[in-house]
Amino acid sequence: MKKMGRLVLGVSGVLTLWGSAWAGDAERLLMATTTSTEATGFLDALAPKVKEVLNIDLQWVATGTGKALELGKRCDADLLLVHAPDVEEAYVQQGYGINRRRLMFNDFVVVGPSEDPARVKNCSIEEAMRRIAGSGAPFVSRGDASGTHVKEKELWRAAGFGNEFAYPGYIETGQGQMATLDIAAQRRAYALTDRATFIKFGQDPSRAASLRVLVEGGEVLINRYSLITVRPEKCPKVRAAAAEKFTDWMVGPQGQAFIEAFRVGGKAVFFPDAQGPQ
Amino acid sequence: MSRLSSLAGDCGESFSVPLYLFHDVEQAYKGRTVLSIGRWAVRQGIVLGLVGPNGSGKSTLLRLMGFVEFPVRGTIAFRGDRVSRRRAQAVRSEVTLLPQDPYLLDRSVADNVAYGLSVRGVRRNRAARVQEALRWVGLDPDLFGARSVRDLSGGEARRTALAARLVLRPRVLLLDEPTAEIDAHSAQLVRRAILRARSDWGATVVVTSHDWTWLRGFCDEVHEMRDGRLIAMGHETVDPGAAGASVVISRSPSAS
Amino acid sequence: MGFLVDAFLKAIHLILRGDPATYSALATTVYVSTVSLAASLLMGIPAGFLLGYVSFPGRRMLRTLVDTLLSLPTVLIGLLVYGLLTRRGPLGRFELLFTVHAIVIGQALLALPIVTALTASAVEALDGRLRVTLLSLGAGPVRRFATSLREARYGVLAAAVTAYGRVLTEVGIAIMVGGNIKWHTRTLTTAIALETNKGDFAAGIALGAILLLLASGVNAILYGLRKRA
Repeated sequence: MKKMGRLVLGVSGVLTLWGSAWAGDAERLLMATTTSTEATGFLDALAPKVKEVLNIDLQWVATGTGKALELGKRCDADLLLVHAPDVEEAYVQQGYGINRRRLMFNDFVVVGPSEDPARVKNCSIEEAMRRIAGSGAPFVSRGDASGTHVKEKELWRAAGFGNEFAYPGYIETGQGQMATLDIAAQRRAYALTDRATFIKFGQDPSRAASLRVLVEGGEVLINRYSLITVRPEKCPKVRAAAAEKFTDWMVGPQGQAFIEAFRVGGKAVFFPDAQGPQ
Repeated sequence: MSRLSSLAGDCGESFSVPLYLFHDVEQAYKGRTVLSIGRWAVRQGIVLGLVGPNGSGKSTLLRLMGFVEFPVRGTIAFRGDRVSRRRAQAVRSEVTLLPQDPYLLDRSVADNVAYGLSVRGVRRNRAARVQEALRWVGLDPDLFGARSVRDLSGGEARRTALAARLVLRPRVLLLDEPTAEIDAHSAQLVRRAILRARSDWGATVVVTSHDWTWLRGFCDEVHEMRDGRLIAMGHETVDPGAAGASVVISRSPSAS
Repeated sequence: MGFLVDAFLKAIHLILRGDPATYSALATTVYVSTVSLAASLLMGIPAGFLLGYVSFPGRRMLRTLVDTLLSLPTVLIGLLVYGLLTRRGPLGRFELLFTVHAIVIGQALLALPIVTALTASAVEALDGRLRVTLLSLGAGPVRRFATSLREARYGVLAAAVTAYGRVLTEVGIAIMVGGNIKWHTRTLTTAIALETNKGDFAAGIALGAILLLLASGVNAILYGLRKRA
């Protein structure tokens, strides 16, 4: 019995030390962000650089734009990296966020099976959406209030469809971009995606042939990412100083150079977009 | 109760406070009365036998005397003082009961025998005392000490349980059917152990059995029970052959 | 079938190569499950003992309640703990959300009814003669508790093993209150969820294989202790 007691004490001692080691000495900055910035490996590459240069321990919860904004409202994150400009503007106006800075952009594309049943290849985006809905071709939506989902709904509206949009063949996955693309590939369906994630998706040889880019280009398909700091007046515990330090660096020359240099499978996936304060 | 001690015995007998004094004691389970004893005394230092058929209340009586159970009515005085539930814990360190169907802890034989000693915080000589007690009941400590209780026969288990009580040298030893499932040779050992308890440390022993022949061989008094009552007690001698007669045999404490 | 073999090979590769992300997830898993189990044992064993040993009014109702809590879905527990730890919530000022400590709290709550219910069953299964035996040998209430617990040790060990298996493999709590933050709160299970979400099934299965290896290792240790007990 005594041996048990000593074993328990020893193990708990080790665990306590181990647990406290989790604290670390760099300053913690908690970011709520979208699945595309994580899935592409962008944040994985960024974090060590930020640790080295700014001594900030960047941690992120990748959930999708809608949930990220909610986390900000609940004061459970310090900083947001999202891509739904209209929603972001409202967010700042309602007083939840400050110091909104444009960070980078890429574009959205409509992908689909190579046989292209709705014949949307090279159409304009409005025409493509009309043909897909009109022909009842299968379409896989994120359905999760993410930046991509918000854009998708905008596009349906612009093509003349209502807000409560549905037709047989239109399904909502409620999941991240990669999973949604997987489902689209399985069902030989169309989907809207950001190009960066699609490039990452195509890196896997078994998936490369399943979907193709069918509609691209145009101002309306530009996908802009911004940084928003959670407002300290609403959330006193926010690490505002660290957030500001990080934001300044990211929109400054070094951060923007990092964005430009980032590659997935040899291709650039994000493009620098910093301008003055919004 | 202490009034008793001030009475002088006028028959030439020295008077001492009885070890147990029962006063209108009744025990019932689920509304059914299983034991009813009006007035009963047990003297200190005797070996008392209780005989009677199954269901006569012997085990219940022993449990009450061991203070592991409390009567629904009446009082039991131990050494002149009434024993309440609160006091029972203290009394139980002096009174040890060996139930009819004893339970052994899931450990080795030696650990079982040593358990009561460890409860009492006895550390000195513990191993030696354990070995001694095992020998008293005829179990070779070298052979049995380290054995797990799961590997014992019924008789060996009972003897281990007995050893676990003897080792404590209790003031009162209550044994419920200690010779059930035990061969004649071992029954001899049990009897010898009982008498040793009385002679070595002056224990008072109460033993129940079906076998009054075995009991009368060494008990000072034998009381009979039937249907939850003591139907014969005391020192009367009755013709053992008479049909339907209750058999009580008495011996003076000096003879053994 | 091919991708199962692929996954298995990948698992070996991850382990042997010492892939730091994998080892980090492994370490996090070991940490949170061990600490949460310890906490649940500390609270659950005495609670289970009382529930199984002492009769008091309302005992059967309490027992039923505990048995019902066994079926609490992890996402619900995760939601509850999230509500407690969010910065606007009652325990928000401790800033525990999205840390390993949050996962520990949630998993301890998951394990607690398991430990309590199984300990209570083990104690209820104790021989009815034990109490009289301990009384007759002069043991007081504290000693009776300790000895009875020791008599029930195999049942209690089974409770610990069951609870450990449950927390080791849960994902709902870890994701909700841990946030699946790489290097910090990413466990083997949340990493599997992530890889599956990304569509990298081979990686998911590889991590799953490592998790199973961990679980069998732990069980082997616990049953080795049983031999000694």
